[in-house]
Amino acid sequence: MAERYLKREDLAKLIDSVCSGEGLFVGPKMDGRQVVYAPISAYKDIVFDYIVPRNSFKEFLFPQTEVIARYAVHKDGIDLQGVKAESPEMVVFGSRPCDAASVASLRSVFTWDFVDTSYTEREDRMVIMTIACTDRDEGCFCSTVNLAPDSVGGSDLFLKETLEGGYLVDIVTDRGRTFVERFEGIFSAGGADVDIKRIADVPRLKGVDVKKIKEDLRDTSHYDNDDLWAGLTRKCIGCGACTFVCPTCHCFDIADEGSALEGERRKNWDACQFDHFTLHASGHNPRDTQYKRWRNRFMCKFNFYPNKFSSRGCVGCGRCIRVCPVGLDITEVMEEMSGR
Amino acid sequence: MSLSAGGYGQNMLPVAATITGIDRLTDKDCVFSIRLSKGGILRFRASQFVILSLFGIGEAPISISSSPLDSEKSFELCIRVVGNLTRAVHRLSVGDKVGIRGPYGNGFPMERIEGRDVVIVAGGLGLAPLRSLIRHVIHERDRYGRVIVLIGAKRPQDILFKEDILLWEANPSIEVHLTVDVAVPPWDKHVGVITKLFRYVDVDSLNAVAAVVGPPIMYRFVVSEILNKGLFEGNIYLSLERRMRCGIGKCGHCQINGIYLCQDGPVLSYMEARKLKEAL
Repeated sequence: MAERYLKREDLAKLIDSVCSGEGLFVGPKMDGRQVVYAPISAYKDIVFDYIVPRNSFKEFLFPQTEVIARYAVHKDGIDLQGVKAESPEMVVFGSRPCDAASVASLRSVFTWDFVDTSYTEREDRMVIMTIACTDRDEGCFCSTVNLAPDSVGGSDLFLKETLEGGYLVDIVTDRGRTFVERFEGIFSAGGADVDIKRIADVPRLKGVDVKKIKEDLRDTSHYDNDDLWAGLTRKCIGCGACTFVCPTCHCFDIADEGSALEGERRKNWDACQFDHFTLHASGHNPRDTQYKRWRNRFMCKFNFYPNKFSSRGCVGCGRCIRVCPVGLDITEVMEEMSGR
Repeated sequence: MSLSAGGYGQNMLPVAATITGIDRLTDKDCVFSIRLSKGGILRFRASQFVILSLFGIGEAPISISSSPLDSEKSFELCIRVVGNLTRAVHRLSVGDKVGIRGPYGNGFPMERIEGRDVVIVAGGLGLAPLRSLIRHVIHERDRYGRVIVLIGAKRPQDILFKEDILLWEANPSIEVHLTVDVAVPPWDKHVGVITKLFRYVDVDSLNAVAAVVGPPIMYRFVVSEILNKGLFEGNIYLSLERRMRCGIGKCGHCQINGIYLCQDGPVLSYMEARKLKEAL
């Protein structure tokens, strides 16, 4: 049952309130002809008609490039200053259920054993307002990985669009409750009798059984079947686009920018699809062909994440399918692996 | 394995350190003695590694070649010129500053080696991390059974740590066997691949452990020799190499199946490693 009601026009007030301090309001916005999650400072910039934005909002938790330190080398020593991550209050409006679900996965990586505080400090201050999906496209397969257009996991507030253009707001977490209470005038009480838009129907892909995939992958003898993997993924050109748009891909590189005397150390997104990702200085490469790198990504999603971190590696957002320049569809590989 | 006491780099930030000595071993390998600034002490285990920073160039994981029981004031890194960073390291001089973080990784499980015969097999640069173990074992020699060290190199002039090897050869409490792939006069020791040296290995196989580090191609052949000697798979330790970046199990570079080698390794028993596809 809905606990609150949010009028669409009141988002203007919410944006103003959040942005008036140091807060960042993130939402769906046009970038060229595509919708992306981007910082929003004016109500008019919000796009309401979209399915899944081109990017995930992981870049606001784990930036594509981030300065972690500045260094200066003098005659008598090194001056090395760690740069504390900026962690303003962030409100993500218009998250999709798949993206909200991915946050727990990122957290599982960034907090096992060592805690990467530049990640956790940002995530701890993020309020995720998810809107249930009322439409889908060919790429969507959330139900196949046991999510749904109205799953609430990972959201702080869960919104359903009403026919008149407002939102019924379910409070999911304490952080969400605190947020709503702070903006009492914007999130009004009631609205339970309003009609909501029909939730999208994302049918499960026939022939894909994620449970079976997870169980089968535990037996890694499929690694010995090079023909299987080479055959399935031969067309991959190793561009890494899938990893950049994927909400759970978390690999990064550490690199210096500057001279030997002065500069900054950065953490940059990296991709297991690149040939130099595992290349040793000696020339040896443990994953020396593209299908092995593609296989690694598939294993990461359906074996490493679930087994090592007990979290989901794939949320079914379908971005990797939409972005792939050669049309390599992960669900086709999932289907093949389910039928073995 | 958590960052051990005395570890640096919780947030991927190195601490400053100074090069206090450089010892040239071969035309492409040098040993750098490193001292942490402000009296910092690096506490580590044999076969742990540090991440070395050269500001403006970046970072690379380097295994520690000195023993934890050597001087507390400094530690040694044996570095071969292979890439951008290592080339730049070789241009440094005594007194130059670098960044260090770590130690990272699990290191050899000394407590499981105690009381047993130890076979140490070093191929090429594999002697860099194993020298740490050998020196550790010699430091507390009476805690171990027979100690047999097999060392292989391409040519006589490529052999690392020749001064150490002379001392080990003169030490009656350990056995050292050397081989080179290609002999150059006045070489008078073995010629051929390292597996040929196993005929000299005579250990209490049920109560022996092996430590193996070398180029990727070596493991399969050496492990098969060790298994032929009757050692258990779980008592054969390998220290593997990966292109590591963060050292704390986040960046994904050293992922082998479900493990992050920087955290769960770099030392794996053969029992673990053989189950990990792409590991060997």
